[in-house]
Amino acid sequence: MARIRDLSIEICGVKFLNPFLLSSSPVSNTAEMVARAFEAGWGGVAYKTIAHDRTKIIHPSPRMAPYNYDNKNLVALQNVEQTTDRPMADNWADIRWLKKHYPKHVMIVSIMGFSLEEWVELAKMGEDNGADMLELNFSCPHMTVEGSGMKVGQAMELIEKFTSAVRKTVKIPILAKLTSNVTDITVPALFAQRGGADGITAINTVRALTEVGLDDFVPRPNVHGKGAMSGMSGPAIKPIGLKCVTELAQCRELKIPIIGCGGAETWVDIAEYLMCGASAVQVTTGIIHYGQRIVEDMAEGLSDWMDDKKFKNLAQVVGKSLKYTVPTDAFDLSRQGRADFDLDKCIGCGQCYIVCQDAGGQGLGWDSEKRRPVPDNDHCLSCMICGMVCPVEGLVTYRHVPGKKEIVPPVMKARPRA
Amino acid sequence: MKTAWRESDCLNNPTDMEKCWSLTQVMSEASRCLLCHDAPCSKACPAGTDPATFIRKLRLRNVKGAIRTVRENNALAGVCAVVCPTEQLCQKACVAAGIDRPIDIGRIQRFLVEHGWQIKFNPLEKAANGSGRVAVVGSGPAGLACAAEVARNGITAEIFEGMEKPGGVLRYGVPSFRLHPEFLDRELADIKALGVKITCNKKIPAGGIEKLLDKGYDAVFYAPGTWRPVTVDIPGMDLKNVLTARDFLAAMRSGDQKRIAALVKGKNVAVYGGGSVAMDAATTAKAMGANKVYVVYRRSLREMPAARHDVDMALANNVSFRIMSMVTALVGEKGKLTGLEGIETDWKKPGDTSAAGLVTVPGTEFRLKIDVFVSALGYQAEPEAKAACPGIKFTSKGLVETRRDGCSTSHPCIFTGGDIARGPALVVEAVADGKAAGQHIVKMLAAGSKPVAAKKGGR
Repeated sequence: MARIRDLSIEICGVKFLNPFLLSSSPVSNTAEMVARAFEAGWGGVAYKTIAHDRTKIIHPSPRMAPYNYDNKNLVALQNVEQTTDRPMADNWADIRWLKKHYPKHVMIVSIMGFSLEEWVELAKMGEDNGADMLELNFSCPHMTVEGSGMKVGQAMELIEKFTSAVRKTVKIPILAKLTSNVTDITVPALFAQRGGADGITAINTVRALTEVGLDDFVPRPNVHGKGAMSGMSGPAIKPIGLKCVTELAQCRELKIPIIGCGGAETWVDIAEYLMCGASAVQVTTGIIHYGQRIVEDMAEGLSDWMDDKKFKNLAQVVGKSLKYTVPTDAFDLSRQGRADFDLDKCIGCGQCYIVCQDAGGQGLGWDSEKRRPVPDNDHCLSCMICGMVCPVEGLVTYRHVPGKKEIVPPVMKARPRA
Repeated sequence: MKTAWRESDCLNNPTDMEKCWSLTQVMSEASRCLLCHDAPCSKACPAGTDPATFIRKLRLRNVKGAIRTVRENNALAGVCAVVCPTEQLCQKACVAAGIDRPIDIGRIQRFLVEHGWQIKFNPLEKAANGSGRVAVVGSGPAGLACAAEVARNGITAEIFEGMEKPGGVLRYGVPSFRLHPEFLDRELADIKALGVKITCNKKIPAGGIEKLLDKGYDAVFYAPGTWRPVTVDIPGMDLKNVLTARDFLAAMRSGDQKRIAALVKGKNVAVYGGGSVAMDAATTAKAMGANKVYVVYRRSLREMPAARHDVDMALANNVSFRIMSMVTALVGEKGKLTGLEGIETDWKKPGDTSAAGLVTVPGTEFRLKIDVFVSALGYQAEPEAKAACPGIKFTSKGLVETRRDGCSTSHPCIFTGGDIARGPALVVEAVADGKAAGQHIVKMLAAGSKPVAAKKGGR
């Protein structure tokens, strides 16, 4: 049996059983799904965004398309999913049911108004129906309703205006869910804080266009002959999510906690989000790809890692990497190194040689008899691409070489040999 | 898509080929490829197959390009993909074995060929500018490869085949569960589409090869193969129900399956030999309803020349292997075979695993109760092969003597290749010979300096 340690954490005064949350998406669409997720081990939910009944939501069909790389499917997911298409009353009933049966699990109700009045009304209803927190969706990148979603998240005064209106209406904590589709995510975050937000969720899906049909010329998903720029999620956007969370966590003026979101599938991703400053992490695409069961490995993996690293509690992990995350001008450029080869492990594919020739510093020769790379330390740029393409774990490592000067390629003199 | 030839997941089916991989399977396999620098796989094929390039093309989603690479190199790429002992050639060289296992190059190649058929993409084109006429004798892998090579260069190629249908060993020596005749016909269709004319039931009489040159052909490619089974001198070879693998397999392919079924059904069969032909015969016997089927082989599993795939197929069909064993006599009653007598072997000294290094071990004599004995000890040249072409030199074994290039003979306009030049060899080696000879002929005809036929015999 897996030994899961206490992974609880407090965010905005609300106790979370663990940092694993369903994000507001198809995976948190009904009480039935959310209840099963809680049983599987998820600590809370950002319930699928509720909009007001007065705007009828109809989903485009189909609404999602995969982005595959090589033979790996769902490296990212492109979608034109909208806010909930269920009647408000059904959702409120489901939320009440969940809160009644799972009182310890955190219920974050995501809402999106299409007017100031709707924001206020939805917030009130959320609180009245048992929400522990509200999440204001300022970030959906593909709303079919004009002037909503990400359009709000890109208009700073609207963020502050709507947040502040909600703040005046409810007592429960408010999260502002932000889009990465801005130059600097700390700007909308500060506007949300000024409006009275208690926390930030970052990020929503990234506006993107992943694939175009080669036979029909239509971007994916192909909604009956038409495609659109829309939200991309999945492992491919995790680096953007980590960047945004770090920027928010390092922003001195921003005093409120962050819930991370974007491409997390494994405990490693969760640990990274926590170290970058998130206090909990929301997940959708990982569940779309593998199902709710992934939480078991998140909990077990994170527990073991925290034991190994001797963390006393989850809060100690939060922000662990921030002091090591610096502007690039803070690097110590006097320290240089090189790629180090453990050739006993080499199987002789020569990919390192190819990439060093074509994209590196031509710091590798090739022994065609033995089929082995021949390191030339005087030319190694320490770019490490040789190690990135090497199929053998641990064959190529970086080694600091004290006293080594940086390598600068010389001027062309003779034609290279063919 | 529905394929014309029959496919099956079942190893036991006597006529169906293993299913072709799907695009998903192929992409998954290709994604394991390390895309090596100076790739060893591409240096390991006698016929110059370039897996490193076609797998890279496939990986980078250049599927048509991959088909082009496979098929332009080898007009019998589909056949080779299914009959080649790849684990002894390209896959033996595969660097990925250092991580887990070699890339299954054969199955990827087969997919590319079949996928090309499926999407109707045929990269084999005929050049418009060539001229000349070439006669090809024998429609086995060497003959077909040569004909395709010259035809692609715009030269007229005509194949003369003694059997009822074209393909030689591919049709009459390989069972349909390995190479279905409809699969072969599909590949032949692309060769015929290059303008190659195949005339069957055309046996070349004594002295007939040189006469072709008199009839207006500019060159002859002589590739009749070797069809005479190697015999073994043991008592009892004259008993009833003692036959050769050639006759056994050819009967299957000529539609005489009922006779084979009647012969082996419920009976015990012993196959003597360790090559792919022996495996084919054993698996076929089992598939046709034989009771016990033995493969008796003098050396160990390691020395077996059969492709691993064929050995696996025999094992999967519950063929019993008696390795390190030699047949000493066949015994019978009233002229009819009832059993065999054998003895176990060992190496004279460790390290010498040649056939000459074997010694029998006294006290290990054994008897098997069998009703049918199939000898599959290889093939040698038929005397008729020499008779058909007295104008060129033959070796003492009855094989055509070639120059260092492996395909030129002592006659400047007669070329050769395949088993009649090498002795029994792999299909892919025959293809390599045919291709090389084709290239020689193209060069010769392009130079316009057709050598004088009278200048024969000079070396």
